[in-house]
Amino acid sequence: MVEMATSENPHERVRQFFCFASGLTPLPTDAKALSDFVSWAQRGHILGQVAAVASASDNKRLQTLLENAATRSAYDKRMLKFETERIERALLGTDIRVVLLKGSAYVAEDLLAGIGRRVSDIDILVKEEDLPEAEKLLRQAGWKDEVSTANPYDQKYYRDWMHELPPLRHSKRRTIIDVHHRLLPRTARISPDHLAMMADASPVGDGNLLVFAPVDRFIHSAIHIFADGALETPARSLLELFYLFNDLSVQERDSLESRAAFLNVMSPVQIALWALKRYFGVMVIVNKSNISKVLRLSIETMVENGRAAPLARVLLYVRSHYLRMPLPLLMAHLFRKAIRRG
Amino acid sequence: MKNVALSDLPPETVKRLLSEGRLYLHLGPYVTALSTKDAGVREFLTDMYQDCSILVGEEALVDFSLEVRAPNLVRRYIRRQIVADPGFYFPAVPLPVKLGPLCLEMGMNLCVALQSFRQAIFHAGVVSDQKGGIVIAARSGGGKSTLTAALMEEGFRLLSDEFAILCAETSFLLAYPRPVSLKNQSIDVVRVFAGADQVSDRLTGTPKGDIAYRRLRKSDLETANLPAKAKLILFPRFQAEAAPAVEKMDIADAAMQLIASSPNYQVIGEPAFHALMQMLDGVEAYEITYGNTEDSLMLVKDLWEAVDG
Repeated sequence: MVEMATSENPHERVRQFFCFASGLTPLPTDAKALSDFVSWAQRGHILGQVAAVASASDNKRLQTLLENAATRSAYDKRMLKFETERIERALLGTDIRVVLLKGSAYVAEDLLAGIGRRVSDIDILVKEEDLPEAEKLLRQAGWKDEVSTANPYDQKYYRDWMHELPPLRHSKRRTIIDVHHRLLPRTARISPDHLAMMADASPVGDGNLLVFAPVDRFIHSAIHIFADGALETPARSLLELFYLFNDLSVQERDSLESRAAFLNVMSPVQIALWALKRYFGVMVIVNKSNISKVLRLSIETMVENGRAAPLARVLLYVRSHYLRMPLPLLMAHLFRKAIRRG
Repeated sequence: MKNVALSDLPPETVKRLLSEGRLYLHLGPYVTALSTKDAGVREFLTDMYQDCSILVGEEALVDFSLEVRAPNLVRRYIRRQIVADPGFYFPAVPLPVKLGPLCLEMGMNLCVALQSFRQAIFHAGVVSDQKGGIVIAARSGGGKSTLTAALMEEGFRLLSDEFAILCAETSFLLAYPRPVSLKNQSIDVVRVFAGADQVSDRLTGTPKGDIAYRRLRKSDLETANLPAKAKLILFPRFQAEAAPAVEKMDIADAAMQLIASSPNYQVIGEPAFHALMQMLDGVEAYEITYGNTEDSLMLVKDLWEAVDG
């Protein structure tokens, strides 16, 4: 029998924070505990999500902070709905199938994962053969090269190696779209079968835009978090995974691993399930043998120690790049980035 | 939690709290957790904010967290640089380490401008007396800060040199008094009328030329919880050698210019619109043109006398 850990234990502490954040347990009334939690949620940019599930409190200061966060995320949601409509309008009359990814999909479907979420850009996925047409139409509708990546090196780099166009920023409304044509860079070690996922996508309401089926939605989130980004915002990412998992039926949960195997993305999905079990106590059977110990430790340090995890951060950063491109290309790219920063 | 003046804390306590990111500055409607290991920033803060209220304890709920730090490991030691990190991505340009105080001030401005959604924020200076408040809208080179600092010497209290903070429920302006940022020639102008000891050391070679700060006054801090009702809105225009002139503005134009200067009006949406409309109800707006501080003060005094108390 394992001894119950106290909240001095970093793992237990983060588990508790996730319980507060997802509304599983009411926010602490103890002032010190509340302060610790709120500052953790602020650092992780999830206070808007906390506000969406927290019940009213007679702590005026807390209410003020939650309302502030809720106002901000309500705006993000309005912006996202508006921009999504504009994208639909820009591509109207073509045969281009557009899948909304991540936040824009969650908001379009009114999922818990989308409520109170902070969003800065819009991600869409189109087939590679539709890319030139989609880019042309979006440019006609006012989206232009984002200044910071408008230089020839970045433009070429994105177009040659990445899974998305260089970011496009709307000239009037300043919003950013990332137009994807696959889910991971061309050079990535894992190559998810996005065409199979697109084939199973379904329209939002009676509109022309599509969203992934619930299982694929979870799988894509897992890919994004554990095979693409470096888990830079762990609180936000894990909360998202938890909500998406929660929205799955029992049958859908059971089909996760076989679907992941079919789509060739077993590893990120297994890491995602392991993380959900570790941080939310989700009842799943996880085959840990496929997840390296170093990786698990890095993720644990990153999630549980927050900012005090520079080594884990570096390891995950290097890993995310290693997964995305072959070593010579990676070295050339990082060298380029380093001298540009200096 | 306990409230103490910053000057009541021993220097080693201030140093420790700052290095732990737990110096909770309670100013106007906001609590900011400040964090820095830079000695220059710490000295500036301890001096310029000495009369400010600090929350002491472990249970603070803060509006903003701001760290002023080296942009990376290399720049911590070689050709040292410093940057403000408000906890979210912002493309701030790192500055030479001696400009730390500027990073602190700009960082604190960023926090309010981009993270405060309870009040509509407009880019303007605000002063007030018992009659009500004067909003001095920001225009590049318009002289907002110089005029704000000049009015402080004329018996007005400072609400803010940078932001008109409009409470959505009451349509009153909230005070957030901070050191007044002065640029280039206006540094000497303010040193003359406020006294040299009221102005900080000059920061040279900033992206905006020379910068110095006019000290916070104790009286402005003591009244910081009193909101003010806007009575007059000014759009100053400084033009060397210009004859003083006043032109009445259409209130709708004034509204549109204020909205264009707001970092959060769109975010708040309808409540910001209603609050602004209520604030502008019965208020007059003027564009004033002047070539020196005396002229600007004369113009403002004339306009202010005509305003009903």
